[in-house]
Amino acid sequence: MSKREIVRTQGVWKTYYMGSEEVHALRGISISVEAGEYISIMGPSGSGKSTFFNMVGGLDKPTSGEVYIDEVDISQLGIYELAWLRCRKIGYIFQTFNLIPVMNALENVSLPMVFAGLGADESRDKAAALLARVGLGDRLTHRPIEMSGGQQQRVAIARALANDPAIILADEPTGNLDLKTGREIIDLLTEMKEERNVTIITATHDHKMLAASDRVIWFTDGQVTRIQNREDLDIRVGTIGGAEEA
Amino acid sequence: MSSEHRLFSEDPSQRKLSLPWGRTVEMCWRNLKNRRGRFLLVFLSIAVVVAFFVSTLSYHRLLEELRGRDDVHTRAVLERGGVLSHNPEADRKHRDQMVWLLVLSGMLCFVGVMNTMYMSVTERYREIGTLKCLGALDSFVVRLFLLESVFIGAVGSALGALGGFLLTLFQIGVTLEFGLIGVGHVMRTLAQTAPPAFAGGTALTVLAAIYPTIAAARMKPVDAMRVEV
Repeated sequence: MSKREIVRTQGVWKTYYMGSEEVHALRGISISVEAGEYISIMGPSGSGKSTFFNMVGGLDKPTSGEVYIDEVDISQLGIYELAWLRCRKIGYIFQTFNLIPVMNALENVSLPMVFAGLGADESRDKAAALLARVGLGDRLTHRPIEMSGGQQQRVAIARALANDPAIILADEPTGNLDLKTGREIIDLLTEMKEERNVTIITATHDHKMLAASDRVIWFTDGQVTRIQNREDLDIRVGTIGGAEEA
Repeated sequence: MSSEHRLFSEDPSQRKLSLPWGRTVEMCWRNLKNRRGRFLLVFLSIAVVVAFFVSTLSYHRLLEELRGRDDVHTRAVLERGGVLSHNPEADRKHRDQMVWLLVLSGMLCFVGVMNTMYMSVTERYREIGTLKCLGALDSFVVRLFLLESVFIGAVGSALGALGGFLLTLFQIGVTLEFGLIGVGHVMRTLAQTAPPAFAGGTALTVLAAIYPTIAAARMKPVDAMRVEV
């Protein structure tokens, strides 16, 4: 199967105005991601990785430049198409989990399917299967408040996968989790990538993420400073990962 | 590799987003149940104003009817209670004052309800942002929150109207005489005063919720999720 480009950005700038001062969160980001890749965007806080993540996810619009999702310039999409894209083609995972507090795990996971027009029974069954897959088969009726951080993030992963998206965007998915739970979440994401051939893009400064990545894109001050492939990474991961765990 | 838009290659008629009414009602109910504390405040503020409105109105209606009677006993009771009308001019002034009070209390209620609804929407900005990430259209968000306000408004107003009316009956009974008011009389007055108060209270609540809801629904998902309340 030939590789295809699922995400491509072309000279993406994002400028905020703080009073009269211009702040450039992104300064001309041009990258491309192939379908089925696991990409980590690394960089210190304030380097623009979350901003970039929002652009790719269609949650915010660039000041200039284009974002293509599967060859479609998403700035050209109307409100309805954008919502449809978010519903069907992109799954989001957040640092703060962002589950709906008044709904239980099953309802949280089935919500995107309801939006997508799936019937009640069908969406419930699929949500239950997804929750079982992420190891929460016995927590279907628990509400977020009754679950640990790691469990909530698992629900969020199941929810992100609800409509079989092409891309999963994860913004600091391990940021609020301890080392061990964080590693479990990364393992789960990797398994999902293998099983479903979904493209995973994470914004992170968690070095544990490196080992799972096919490529790492380093951000500094809103610019790409380095892109490393897995082959170049392996040596470094040993030291960084090892140093962190020691 | 073809440059066919695979993501959008599906039949456009398949590209629909929906939130069935059954699910909308269920989500609203969940929210109301889980935020009872906050919503109790809104219920109360609406109920109190509607009760005041109904009570004032029905008291005047009931009294007017009693004043219209010719029998000696009723007149004696009214005289004893100090409410037998001698002076139409003073009566009119009194009524004007009441109308003013009603308008004022309505305005106070509007501001109070607006504040509460505003808070209840803004504290859920992150949730709204999340819903939009999952594919919710602006109209889904608006529908969810407006349905919630219709429910709060309707229940609050109904309770207030009933409570206010019962209070009036009690007031007349205590200050004058319970035996004076007949069932038909009571039902007639209730039918005249409760429906407009109920409709007004509900409309007020929905009106107060419209602005914050539309503002929230129109936010970009990132902005909605970034808001810290």
